[in-house]
Amino acid sequence: MIQEIADALVQSWRNFANAFVLFVPRLVAATIIFAGGFVVAVLARRGVRALLAWLRFDRLALRTGASEMLRIADMPVAELIVAKIVFWLVWIGFIVSAVDTLQFGPFRGLVEEFFRFVPRFLVALLVLSLGFLVGNFLWRATLLASVNAGLPGARLLSGALRLLVIAIAVVMSLEQLGMATTVVLTAFAITFGAVMLGLAIAFGLGGREAARDLLERHFKRRKDRDTDAAPHL
Amino acid sequence: MAMPLTANAVQNESTLSDALLGQLMAVGQVDILVGLPTLDNAATIVDVVRAIHLSFARDFPRLRTVMINSDGGSTDATPELVRAASLSDADMVQTSHSLRTLHRVVAPYHGLPGKLTALRTIFAAAELTQAKVLAVVDPNGPSTTAERVAELITPIVRSEVEFLTPRYRRHPRDGLLVTQLIRPVVRAVYGVGLDEPLGVEFSCSRRFASHCLDRDIWNHDVGRFAIDLWLRTEAIANGFSLGQIWRPAASTGAVRTTLRQTVQQVMLSLFESLRAHESFWRAASGLNELHTWGTDPRTTPDPPTWDHVALAEQARHDLGEIRVLLAGVLEPAVSPQVFDDMMVPALRLDDDLWAAIVYAFAAAVRRGSTGTEHLAAMFVPLYLWRASAFIASTADDSDAAVQARLDALCETFQRLKPLLVGSWTAGE
Repeated sequence: MIQEIADALVQSWRNFANAFVLFVPRLVAATIIFAGGFVVAVLARRGVRALLAWLRFDRLALRTGASEMLRIADMPVAELIVAKIVFWLVWIGFIVSAVDTLQFGPFRGLVEEFFRFVPRFLVALLVLSLGFLVGNFLWRATLLASVNAGLPGARLLSGALRLLVIAIAVVMSLEQLGMATTVVLTAFAITFGAVMLGLAIAFGLGGREAARDLLERHFKRRKDRDTDAAPHL
Repeated sequence: MAMPLTANAVQNESTLSDALLGQLMAVGQVDILVGLPTLDNAATIVDVVRAIHLSFARDFPRLRTVMINSDGGSTDATPELVRAASLSDADMVQTSHSLRTLHRVVAPYHGLPGKLTALRTIFAAAELTQAKVLAVVDPNGPSTTAERVAELITPIVRSEVEFLTPRYRRHPRDGLLVTQLIRPVVRAVYGVGLDEPLGVEFSCSRRFASHCLDRDIWNHDVGRFAIDLWLRTEAIANGFSLGQIWRPAASTGAVRTTLRQTVQQVMLSLFESLRAHESFWRAASGLNELHTWGTDPRTTPDPPTWDHVALAEQARHDLGEIRVLLAGVLEPAVSPQVFDDMMVPALRLDDDLWAAIVYAFAAAVRRGSTGTEHLAAMFVPLYLWRASAFIASTADDSDAAVQARLDALCETFQRLKPLLVGSWTAGE
């Protein structure tokens, strides 16, 4: 009986020792990958910042209005954000590889999953950036055109347009990432539909008189604003 | 006479329709070509055509002449009136000694409607006919007489100057877009004492016409908006000798755009001109006054009347709406000053601040932080505010005092030019 217990203990110890002997190199390898990945990620971040500075990325961000949006949102400058994204993508890639090296059952296939996720993430990022870019451009163009045309509520109109475009971009990005697709799409469709229906009802039924007055005043004011250029030339 | 075609003529032939090409080939080489760009000018065109032909016959009887009407699609029978216009009996007496055929060509132009296409047609026609002198006459000119046409042509015929531009005796409260913006900027930045950087009429040598045809502006924004300004600044920047000629009054009879559209177009043209001539004006310093031909009319027309208070209210409202956009263009120290000025009941925007604003917009074009169309649109309320403030602040001043204010404004723009050069070159 005692011998059996002793054999079991010895066997268990041998198994543990074998597993440990097998695990330690993997742990060391994972640690090296983890630490090395950090170094590579830091270097990649610095390289990307230098490259973006050389490419005058700040000018592009300024021109597209991204800088202004980031400033309003109290976020770092665009080139820093891009560098951080690159840093985390590279380091997470190494972390996933390190975890995969440990060969834990639940984490098997993590590397494949990660590399399947990266392109989707980049596309989502691109969609989001384009959304901000287009939204901002439309906001500025609408605001200026509305102001010079004498439309009432120019800021409201242009702000709403920007919000709509950015909201669409956010929903498209989340869908690309596959994050709570159904919930996000449903929520967006319901909100968008409700707002539009509400506006249509309010403007078309409840505010017919107000709408007519508004349009009449607008056209009168616009006529007043169409000042003759001749005395100024 | 058969015409040898130059390289430019061949290149620009596509600008001319087959019908116009045929007519020009029939005319042959000429010494003087007068262009008449028209669009619905039936009310005045007959008198203008008569004046041109009378001038040809009476003042240049030994020279070969042609008048080209480039019409943008008039619906009031302007081309028919041009074709049918004949010299009156009184004119015939004066022109009896003409030695040459008086050629008259009427042709609609190809391409986008607008003055740019009309001018390109006229320039290409001048190149094809190898005209030594090209003059463009205002089809609205209420005071266009044969004498004035001759005055416009003669200095170029005598090779005294290569580009001649009108100078008007204005009331100091007239033409604020010129006196408050374009004149001070052009004088300060280009260093040339040009009074009227805008204006329909001008005359030039064939060398300048060929130079313009060679420039890549005809399908570009720089030409699409306020081509008059570009022509003048191009002449300055490329060393063509410039002169001015006194004319009785600025013609604004055919302004088809609203004030807001006009300001935008002028700003776009100014931006593009500054970009195109950057290397010239950055090095330019001082002020070269221009010789003025003709006789100073002395009499100034009455000032135009417009509701500056209403315009100021529009400007105040619009500036409030685009405040966030302006903050991105103006210097951090300038933006609050503008809005502080707007808070006080009295309309005001002092000269230094106005010059700083204009230069900030020009520098923003160079930075590329905002599209030029957006910058031009953003500038409109600022101009409206400045124009209203100027009228309000000079309401009780004598004409001489107002003129002194205009001169002082030009000096302010000159004094602050280093601001523009500094911010323009900041990104280099």
